[in-house]
Amino acid sequence: MNKDAQMRAAINQKLIETGERERLKELLRAKLIECGWKDQLKAHCKEVIKEKGLEHVTVDDLVAEITPKGRETGFAMLPRLVLSSRTQAILLPQPSRLLG
Amino acid sequence: MKMEEMSLSGLDNSKLEMFSPGAQAIAQEIYADLVEDSCLGFCFEVHRAVKCGYFFLDDTDPDSMKDFEIVDQPGLDIFGQVFNQWKSKECVCPNCSRSIAASRFAPHLEKCLGMGRNSSRIANRRIANSNNMNKSESDQEDNDDINDNDWSYGSEKKAKKRKSDKNPNSPRRSKSLKHKNGELSNSDPFKYNNSTGISYETLGPEELRSLLTTQCGVISEHTKKMCTRSLRCPQHTDEQRRTVRIYFLGPSAVLPEVESSLDNDSFDMTDSQALISRLQWDGSSDLSPSDSGSSKTSENQGWGLGTNSSESRKTKKKKSHLSLVGTASGLGSNKKKKPKPPAPPTPSIYDDIN
Repeated sequence: MNKDAQMRAAINQKLIETGERERLKELLRAKLIECGWKDQLKAHCKEVIKEKGLEHVTVDDLVAEITPKGRETGFAMLPRLVLSSRTQAILLPQPSRLLG
Repeated sequence: MKMEEMSLSGLDNSKLEMFSPGAQAIAQEIYADLVEDSCLGFCFEVHRAVKCGYFFLDDTDPDSMKDFEIVDQPGLDIFGQVFNQWKSKECVCPNCSRSIAASRFAPHLEKCLGMGRNSSRIANRRIANSNNMNKSESDQEDNDDINDNDWSYGSEKKAKKRKSDKNPNSPRRSKSLKHKNGELSNSDPFKYNNSTGISYETLGPEELRSLLTTQCGVISEHTKKMCTRSLRCPQHTDEQRRTVRIYFLGPSAVLPEVESSLDNDSFDMTDSQALISRLQWDGSSDLSPSDSGSSKTSENQGWGLGTNSSESRKTKKKKSHLSLVGTASGLGSNKKKKPKPPAPPTPSIYDDIN
């Protein structure tokens, strides 16, 4: 478990250092919009807001309602996502080296 | 991103298995983090939209949604419009109350109302031409010097035939002008732009005579037009000019500048007064054109010269040097050669007439 956590931290750090993480985030956002994930989520938001009433919506409410749903549907999108070769190059050889 | 990309499904099949399961888990966690970040960002956007009031702006009621639905019928575009709906439509012009085709309506209206660039061009041209006509009629006796090459005499005859529809300045005219130069000039021979000759069939005898006294008049063989250049134009010889004049005016007609003896043979010597007055009247058009830049004083001298020559015809026969063209030198030379100077009596006669 520790090793996994370590590894995760190391990989995260490496991604942030090279700037890959930001690139990945932008890429993911674009892909999610393309897939229609954002529109789904928006429709869900509208329902929530209509329930709660337009005036009394808070950020926490929204976050609490929407994030789980978003995460689920996002994972459903995963197979359709594209990874650039550079990202792969970073992800691939990591485990052994990082651990070592 | 623009480099080669492999789909993650492909990755799943081939490369993701190269990852150790731990690595796969980590990759999925990283991805989950990214997704959560995106969700959070999205929530912030929505919340801001709600609070600023523009969240529901893109919603429309179903009625207006139906109005703007995409049309998918044959023969219509997606807005529901027919393709060539305006081709066959006809509009009624409010000015002339005629029914005009829609595609021709705008140019017609431009001409009908008299507004717009082209109509003003046509109007200006018409004005200029009518000015030319009026000017030439009134100034024929005075300004013959100017009219050496610009033939506009007798253009009042052609005024009705002038085509007002076709505008040589309009942009559509370029082709027809290039190919049909001869045809166009036939319809309007007195326009300086298109022709340099006159069609003699349309002239009356009086006009012919005055024309022949001021201009070369030799008929060109291929265009059948009279030359409008001066009496001394280098393209034609005097013989040609004389031939033309004989042809038109009878055997007695000659070049105005040739021996006055021939000229005077046809006149009555006893009727000198009539002769003088006649010479004066016709001479006014005879004398000035070839006398480029001469003033009125030399014209008077020219008249004197005319009478001098008439009186001295028996004494001397002169060639073309003795001309009705009044130059001081010519007058002087004449005076030298004659035994008796008839100068004193003549000015008095002219004074009376003048």
